[in-house]
Amino acid sequence: MIKTLASRIWTFLKSFQLTIVLLALLMCLVVLCTLAQVEMGTQGAVNAYMRSFFVKKQFAALPFAIPVFPGGGLVGLLLTLNLIAKTLDIQRTWQKAGMWLVHAGLVILFAGEFVAGMMQVDTNMSIEVGQTVNYVQSYKNMELAVIDVTDPAWDEVYSVPDTLLSRGGAIPIPGTPITLNVKRYFPNSELSNLAPGMPPSMATAGVGPGIAIVERPTVTNDNELNTGSVFVEPVAGGRSYGTWLASMAIGAPQSFTHEGRTYSLSMRLLRQYLPYSFTLKQFRHDVYPGTQIPKNFSSLVQVVNPSQKESREVLIYMNQPLRYEGKTFYQASFGKNDTLSVLSVVENPGWLLPYVSCVLVSLGLLVHFAIVLRRSLKRRQDKKEA
Amino acid sequence: MLKTSMFPRHSRSFIAKASFLAGTGLLALAVGCGRDQVSHYRVPKEAVADHPDHPGHEMEGMPPAGGDMPAPPRPAGAGALKWSLPKGWSEVPGEGMRFATFKSPIQGRHEATVVVLPGAAGGELANVNRWRGQIGLGPIDEAALAAARVVVKSKAGALNVYDFTSEGQAKSRMVAGLISTPDGNTWFLKLTGDAGPVAKAKPDFMRILESLRLD
Repeated sequence: MIKTLASRIWTFLKSFQLTIVLLALLMCLVVLCTLAQVEMGTQGAVNAYMRSFFVKKQFAALPFAIPVFPGGGLVGLLLTLNLIAKTLDIQRTWQKAGMWLVHAGLVILFAGEFVAGMMQVDTNMSIEVGQTVNYVQSYKNMELAVIDVTDPAWDEVYSVPDTLLSRGGAIPIPGTPITLNVKRYFPNSELSNLAPGMPPSMATAGVGPGIAIVERPTVTNDNELNTGSVFVEPVAGGRSYGTWLASMAIGAPQSFTHEGRTYSLSMRLLRQYLPYSFTLKQFRHDVYPGTQIPKNFSSLVQVVNPSQKESREVLIYMNQPLRYEGKTFYQASFGKNDTLSVLSVVENPGWLLPYVSCVLVSLGLLVHFAIVLRRSLKRRQDKKEA
Repeated sequence: MLKTSMFPRHSRSFIAKASFLAGTGLLALAVGCGRDQVSHYRVPKEAVADHPDHPGHEMEGMPPAGGDMPAPPRPAGAGALKWSLPKGWSEVPGEGMRFATFKSPIQGRHEATVVVLPGAAGGELANVNRWRGQIGLGPIDEAALAAARVVVKSKAGALNVYDFTSEGQAKSRMVAGLISTPDGNTWFLKLTGDAGPVAKAKPDFMRILESLRLD
């Protein structure tokens, strides 16, 4: 009974019909995902359609979203299993060595996409001419930065990610006597000056008491940014320092002092500090003579890495990214009258996999061709001899 | 809970990386969980206090302006500042926390804004250093702050005015004045943009600052 079931599953997994259905589903997903980008933005659509196991839809009558279509993750997983099943079905002989290589290459290509989907981190770095930057920042994710600014030369930065803020409750800041009590977190909000007669703010310290806040639905579009805000109460040594409003919309610095150490609170895009720094020496935006059509964008950066005793100039330009310490820096955008350069930074531990896959598939096809050619020549020879 | 990493190292050989990929699934889970921790970094103080291209940072850190955003309730009564606009200038009510935006007849990229924040809004030095950061200049200390300060007299009281120009190929300039009102609010009036248009608009902008009054 179990044996028949297993063999049925095996037959199902290695069937060609399954391949065809899955490829058709994948084509539908590509079309749907492309159309969805208009409303959801590139990243939003890719996450909803490609990097999920099911495409979910929210119906007004239901409190939760229900799956309506298989997502890229599920189709990809089944396609990978289908491919592996097919590969294992190939005879284990030297005659089939080429086919083995081709299939192994394809499996690696699929694995590469899973690695990218789950582990790739997209960030960016904006540098102005003459400026030195030692961090990359997220496009969408936010953090509450609690910074001990007491030391005149160094900042101790404690980053509380938005995912942690959204859970609420008490968050101890390790290495400091501070515990943050998250009173309320707004993934997206709108701030305005508090008018007379409006209910008082939850905040009791900093600029917060004079500000009114309204929750807004979150946005995923590429050119929109959520205005994350949070009411937090720092408590240290049994003493409360009041409730503060930190928001992406508040630029004014807010800080409190506990036992001689000053801590600032600010909501900002999630940063990842790097053990090296980039200084933008020159940004070039060349156009074709007599037109405004861009010919070239390039950033000349000085890369300084004290741990490697390294300091060198690198030119990053279109289609010529810098691969450094596991990250790839692409020339992405510019601004402020060509004095600001924006580098898109991608960290994908599996970036090598598509290349490995291409080499394997090419090699496999060559080997297979050679084997078939040899066999065919041999047949012809045999015919002649006969 | 704590991910204390002075500076996480990422250099690994390609071979090590390839073998590393064997446990992809588990690793992905681990990475996924890693974002929910308080991270600690020890970093040199930033020369630039703010991120240059953060939306809203150019204008006092205001929320991204949405088309359907209602005009903010205006501080009223004794605290509300009034001003007279020079010829050719116009005023648009602000959005979000911005109180107002001035439109000047001068061509070129520049903008004049009015923002009101409760209390001292972090202090003069911190705000001035934040503004300097927005045009790529390093922070200054109290002594340099006093040297850079120009006091402009108005009917509403004395305004502290600062004028900074960035370095670099295309220069940005910022003329900013701040004044505290009796109700405890701090008003920020800023003229920012490319150095050329800002220089042209500055005389008119200074006239606006001189015209400030409390009715």
